[in-house]
Amino acid sequence: MREILEKVLKNKKNNADYIEIRAEKKEVTTIHFQGKKLEKINCSQQTGGNIRVLVKGGWGFVSFNQLNDLEEKVREAIEVASLIGKEESKLAVISPVVEIIKRELDKDFRQVSLREKKDLMENYNSIIMKSNPLIQSSNVIYTDRFSTTYFANSEGSYIEQEKPFLSARFTAIAREGDNVQLASESVGTTKGFKRMEKISTKAQKAAFRAVNLLKAQPVEGGEYTVILDQTLGGVFIHEAFGHLSEADFLYEDERMSGLMKIGKKFGSPKLNIIDDGSIPDLLGSAKYDDEGVRTKKNYLIKDGILAGRLHSRETAAKMGEEPTGNARALNYRFKPIVRMTNTYIENGDTSFKDLLSGIKKGIYAKDCYGGMTTFEMFTFSAGEGFMIRDGEIAEPVKDVVLSGNLFTTLLNIEGVGNDLKMIESGGGCGKAGQSPLPVSFGSPHLMIKKVIVGGR
Amino acid sequence: MEKLLQQACKKVDSAELFNVKIKTIPVNFEVNRLKSIDISESEGKALRVINKGRIGFSSSTGSEGFDSMVEKAVATSEFGSTASFDFLGETKRSGKEKINVYDKKVVDKSIKEMVKVGEDIIERMKDFNRKLRYDVTIVKNCNEIEYFNSRGGNFSYSKTAIAYSIMVQQIENQDMLMIYSSIESGKDNLELEELTSEVIENLEWGEKIVHVESGKMPVIFTPKAALILILPIISGLNGKMVLKKISPLAVQRNKKLWSDLLTLYSDGTIDFAAGSAPFDDEGVEMKRVPLVEKGEIKNFYYDLQTAGIAKVESTGNGLRASSQSEPTPGISNLVIKEGRVSFSEMIEDIKEGIIIDQVLGLGQGNIISGAFSNNVQLGYKIEKGKIVGRVKNVMIAGNAIEELKNIAALGYKAKWISGKYKFPHIYLKSLSVSAKK
Repeated sequence: MREILEKVLKNKKNNADYIEIRAEKKEVTTIHFQGKKLEKINCSQQTGGNIRVLVKGGWGFVSFNQLNDLEEKVREAIEVASLIGKEESKLAVISPVVEIIKRELDKDFRQVSLREKKDLMENYNSIIMKSNPLIQSSNVIYTDRFSTTYFANSEGSYIEQEKPFLSARFTAIAREGDNVQLASESVGTTKGFKRMEKISTKAQKAAFRAVNLLKAQPVEGGEYTVILDQTLGGVFIHEAFGHLSEADFLYEDERMSGLMKIGKKFGSPKLNIIDDGSIPDLLGSAKYDDEGVRTKKNYLIKDGILAGRLHSRETAAKMGEEPTGNARALNYRFKPIVRMTNTYIENGDTSFKDLLSGIKKGIYAKDCYGGMTTFEMFTFSAGEGFMIRDGEIAEPVKDVVLSGNLFTTLLNIEGVGNDLKMIESGGGCGKAGQSPLPVSFGSPHLMIKKVIVGGR
Repeated sequence: MEKLLQQACKKVDSAELFNVKIKTIPVNFEVNRLKSIDISESEGKALRVINKGRIGFSSSTGSEGFDSMVEKAVATSEFGSTASFDFLGETKRSGKEKINVYDKKVVDKSIKEMVKVGEDIIERMKDFNRKLRYDVTIVKNCNEIEYFNSRGGNFSYSKTAIAYSIMVQQIENQDMLMIYSSIESGKDNLELEELTSEVIENLEWGEKIVHVESGKMPVIFTPKAALILILPIISGLNGKMVLKKISPLAVQRNKKLWSDLLTLYSDGTIDFAAGSAPFDDEGVEMKRVPLVEKGEIKNFYYDLQTAGIAKVESTGNGLRASSQSEPTPGISNLVIKEGRVSFSEMIEDIKEGIIIDQVLGLGQGNIISGAFSNNVQLGYKIEKGKIVGRVKNVMIAGNAIEELKNIAALGYKAKWISGKYKFPHIYLKSLSVSAKK
């Protein structure tokens, strides 16, 4: 592969300010049980690549499945880029790297038979289905993917990285008359098949929660003090704050960058937020990002003060900051854009019990169905909710959707727990049509005042 | 292709090959200027086999040898579902003969012309207000679909699409107003005025931020927002959800469930709509399927396999999420029959209420139960029959299956959303609104 890519780069070096070629090969297995039945079992193989060129500040991008005629594709990319380019190209300087990165797996899923994978998931599925007569149906979706990415650019970098990924998502659907409730648990990992062999408690938990939700009353809408568990805290920080730290939203927009000025106070001194793609083997980890930039630990908020943001080479150069290793592409069909990796809130010093104790009437929101954000407004749905009454967790409530303005909500984080957990779930992050990109996130328990909760 | 299939059939009972080639060219403008142009070509092959009565499946991006695809499909068939259908030996349309989904003018439209459209949209918006941020995308698409099965069924067609979309952003202090809008067609007949005039109207309404009190109040959903109410219905009428008894609508067929005003159909035969095609993705003729008539559920929608198990006919709704997927029941185009009332008459009718245009968290949560709870990302307050400004920090919540019983009126002018949904304004008598104090 190296020769193929480098040959193309040599030929066209002079016509563009910068050229990169990416190729990817992957094998994917999917197994899906629904109810008592195996719904889908699928093996697929994908090969593809793309070329991205920069001409006078304009980007041209061509993606394809067939790795032939690459010279012609480079020419096409340069042609369209030339339609755009009217200024000087700017990319943060990095030193070229040549490296081949292999991954060791605890148990290589490529060596596990389809039957073994199917049997394992069938077992989890029957745990859900048999757990309670009120369980109406289930979804058990298993995916494994082994991809190898090849990257070469006109500055002399060549990087090959192996990227394994496994996930299992368990959904239990409970029904009593017209009342249908569902609960999901999911696990993702890059480490190998072993993790997948030990998750029967997740299947039990999904079923237990779905049945419990049948009894839960819809939450009464209003403004509450809420405690978020580690998952929801992690989702919150990813969705609401993390996306605003992505410099591609800011670098060409004065007003946005004014709002996100380094040094501005965002929260209490207890609040520290980090994105770190260099933690070994988490879902969002890689030694190099998809522009060949080394990943690292980046403080976004330190002691409540905005301390940094996430960059691609272009946004870093344009904002005069250092690249952070956050340019990521979902796959060969897409160009790298600024993305999070593993995002978390650092531990504070308050125990969960102490967080609860001050709350007369509030909501303990756990887990997450999904979340969305448009700049300052965020919304996310808790997977499970409980009222808090006089400092104690009380009755369960359902349909808990939290919403608010990011800036005020961050300032309203009054308690940061001491029980940080990194969450590796099977889902992923979506942005600009690139979804689901593997990420991880985490948080200790958080206590936030004045959160709006939707409800009837 | 046919040869390959015959070869595969030495190992299996019957087989089907679905082949897609897609070329997409998006021209992107960011912050009021041309930012990037992409050319994306992709292809995919999906092989479905029936082997010893069971379904097997494999897919590839094309470079893999066909033998290896057959091998994988056979391997998966060992565990696959029992086939409750066989591939159709004949793919023929008996309804409307020709479904127009291809316009050569889209294929021929040059990148330079697309750039020009984008520039014109931005110019038009700048004439209105130079200080805002405009992100515009002009995208064109050409798909080539080929289908063969070993029983003789085969078809192929080409399909085009073009779309203009815009996102406007206005930031003042910590208030960010974001408006998005798009128009799409299979034919190169889009009018950019349609896009810009809607956005400008919204910007004018949204100039002032006004307060709204929590409580129950009348609400108008614009066509863009109507999906909030319709998504649970789409999900609940899915033949698979019905078969598995997950859908609360499973037992409601031919019962009067909703307002008389609600008539809803799936229709894959509308010329140049995004979901139209002569056949669905497994060779069944696309049709107009009445789903709800005057508030009564008339049909659920099915693919071949689900229909086979349910012992009904496929409704021609066997769609694939991508070239890498098996068919599953899906909606082609969804049309809500128009009502008799204009949007301005609806507004005039309301003493105090809100208009919902964009929400956060669409499709999030327990959709099939009907429950929704959304942050109103773009909404307007009505006082005494007039729009008085934009609302912020407001959430709406309800259950779509319940709320659709109380439709006050439907708009007389439906609008295409995402090229595949044709929705009118939906005016509800009362809905829960929570606002931050």
